[in-house]
Amino acid sequence: MTEIRSQDLGERIRENQQEKFSDSLKPATRNPQPATSLKTDQMFVNLGPQHPSTHGVLRLALTLDGEVIIRAEPDVGYLHRGTEKLSEVRGYHHCVVMTDRWDYVSAMPNNLVFCLASEKLLNLQVPERAEYLRVIMCELNRLASHLLFFGTYGIDIGAFTPFLHAFREREMVLDLFEMVCGARMTFNYIRIGGVAQDLPQSWIEKCKEFLGYFKFRLKEYDDLLSFNPIFMDRTKNVGLITPRQAVDWGLSGPNIRGSGVPYDVRKTDPYSVYGKLDFEVCVGESGSCWDRYYVRMREMAQSVRLVEHCLNALPSGDIVAKGVAKMPKPMPGEAYAHVEGSRGDLGIYLVSDGSFSPYRMHVRAPSYINLAILQEALVGLKVSDMIAVLGSIDIVLGEVDR
Amino acid sequence: MPEAAFLEQVTQRLKEACPEVSVAEPSPIKGVVNFKVTRADTWALVFKTLKEELGFEFLDFLTAVDWKGPVGAQGFIQDPNPNPFLPEGATPSVTPEPPTPGFPYREKIELVAAVSNWNKWTRVVVRLELPREAAKAPTLINLWKTADWQEREAYDLLGVVFEGHPNLKKILTPDFIAGHPLRKDYVHVKDQYD
Amino acid sequence: MSVDIQKFPGGEFALTTADFFINWARESSLWPLTFGLACCAIEMMGAYASRFDFDRFGVIPRPSPRQADVMIIAGTVVKKMAEPIRTIYHQMPEPRFVISMGSCANCGGPYYDSYSVVKGVDKIIPVDIYIAGCPPRPEALQYAVLKLQQRIRKMKPSRTAMATIPQDKGARTLV
Repeated sequence: MTEIRSQDLGERIRENQQEKFSDSLKPATRNPQPATSLKTDQMFVNLGPQHPSTHGVLRLALTLDGEVIIRAEPDVGYLHRGTEKLSEVRGYHHCVVMTDRWDYVSAMPNNLVFCLASEKLLNLQVPERAEYLRVIMCELNRLASHLLFFGTYGIDIGAFTPFLHAFREREMVLDLFEMVCGARMTFNYIRIGGVAQDLPQSWIEKCKEFLGYFKFRLKEYDDLLSFNPIFMDRTKNVGLITPRQAVDWGLSGPNIRGSGVPYDVRKTDPYSVYGKLDFEVCVGESGSCWDRYYVRMREMAQSVRLVEHCLNALPSGDIVAKGVAKMPKPMPGEAYAHVEGSRGDLGIYLVSDGSFSPYRMHVRAPSYINLAILQEALVGLKVSDMIAVLGSIDIVLGEVDR
Repeated sequence: MPEAAFLEQVTQRLKEACPEVSVAEPSPIKGVVNFKVTRADTWALVFKTLKEELGFEFLDFLTAVDWKGPVGAQGFIQDPNPNPFLPEGATPSVTPEPPTPGFPYREKIELVAAVSNWNKWTRVVVRLELPREAAKAPTLINLWKTADWQEREAYDLLGVVFEGHPNLKKILTPDFIAGHPLRKDYVHVKDQYD
Repeated sequence: MSVDIQKFPGGEFALTTADFFINWARESSLWPLTFGLACCAIEMMGAYASRFDFDRFGVIPRPSPRQADVMIIAGTVVKKMAEPIRTIYHQMPEPRFVISMGSCANCGGPYYDSYSVVKGVDKIIPVDIYIAGCPPRPEALQYAVLKLQQRIRKMKPSRTAMATIPQDKGARTLV
């Protein structure tokens, strides 16, 4: 078991701060300086909201000097649905439904974080079997999410084939979810106090069969895309984010780990049963697009390991805590819970005034916070590298805008 | 997890830096030390001390809460698409919860920010109450760049003005929506899409 | 209706009506715009990908509205996005079709009382096919395309100046 020592992390940040302080002043790029001899007019390029490579409805306002980006301003809000306001008139169980639709690619961690925050308010003790089921579902969902990233990032860079491979395996994960809760994407499976249903018959065998199949596919992905020379050329040393920058911009998830900072909520602030489980925190080296990409690929192997571990250790017992009301009414108070979602540190700040619905819900949406770094990370890059950087940050617009 | 001795040291140091900082008792968020700041102009100084002297390097989140209490359903669309198959008046309508008696509602907006120290694995929450009409606080953008968008979100949805922020404008809501939707007394004005 | 094969020495030729021929061409290569809004977009991608293989129906996603025949509104339409959607709709060449995918695009879905969601994409553009579900399965999207093909077969392109299907019970209000 690899332990992150608390000292370790701080030291790493400080070391890098000294070494790479000059780096952080320079725009992160392999080709930082625009040609000074050639005089060109500045050009304004509007990317989106309808663009095949923005993964949804993101608008990027770019100012170019020739081919070099000198100013980038992401414009979000094209999917702002007002869930934080709506939660003020919905019951606690109804809010779980809305959480599915923030990060729709990996909805299980969203359900989980809201339930964790509500359980803190309601003082509920979740049965151990439910905790294990939650972890299994979250990790399987991480697989599905990273597979989608793998497929679409390939398309962004210009390789279409990985998309078909990734979706083949993703459908298998979705089949497992469908067996458990009937839904493919918006599950509403993790409920306040436990989970919705127990595992159906022969699910565990099906899951083990899938995991055995999937391990070999991971190697295939590496051959197909990860170590493809063209792909590496387009992503290595592109869009470098230093550890200092990453902490400063509040990055989390694979993005900050790609920069070499081993910040993973599953280790640093263990929730559910992650404290009992054995897994590694994958970190990258240089903080380039390739590092962020490869952290996700390695994380998939860790997720497989976690699911296997949980399936073997799955205890029997109840799946829902006793005494969860149909309309929960917690005492006045506040709670903050956060989990390691597929995109990073997903947190919920929940305030109750003692009524049937939350008084205030704030979501610390990792995609939203990760996206802001584009203002700095894109400056100085060539416009053709922009999609590589944007894809490697791996945003989901539903979570950005809520 | 949070070490009592370290938290004691943090409290000491913060009180030296700005004497009016106090520890909220009982703690609003369970298991986390909550510091209350009373004057808006020391808001940035508290975080500067936390970051540069006490090692709280990571800004977890920054948001605000409107403590006015539920005042009605004008912030929600009342009769969305009428359903022709339902009898009159059966379309879904919104009824917010009535105010809870005894809960300390007040004419304040409270800024809430959490910072983490990764060397000690400690998180503390800092709070600042502002008047609702003139909610102004200094920006934290000089300390953390991630405060940029989080402050813009708080400005857009709750109307907290962050002084010194270079780019304080709407980020999530469209331009024609007037007001700040997450304020409890937000009144939705019918626009061309309703 | 349909095709009449005539033989003559040395070969054969087919006789048909202009309506049938144009409709046949239109319905068998419905190219949608690559345009995802929210959750349903992921299911739409799933429909294009390995298992569901939308290519079998002649459906190949196109990145530009100028090359697209059908626009799949896959997800929540919020007020900030309403104007761009209308612009993209008008950029598509006639005849253009719209599939409203999922509850949010049909009527606002779970966000029926939200201040920033358009309660149904048919408030801004006319819609041909609605798919229920949150999100609908890829099979449902394929069924919708089959339904759209049926509607296209009933069109009379040679007799009317209007190329698109006349607005019937489908949409409620038009802007």
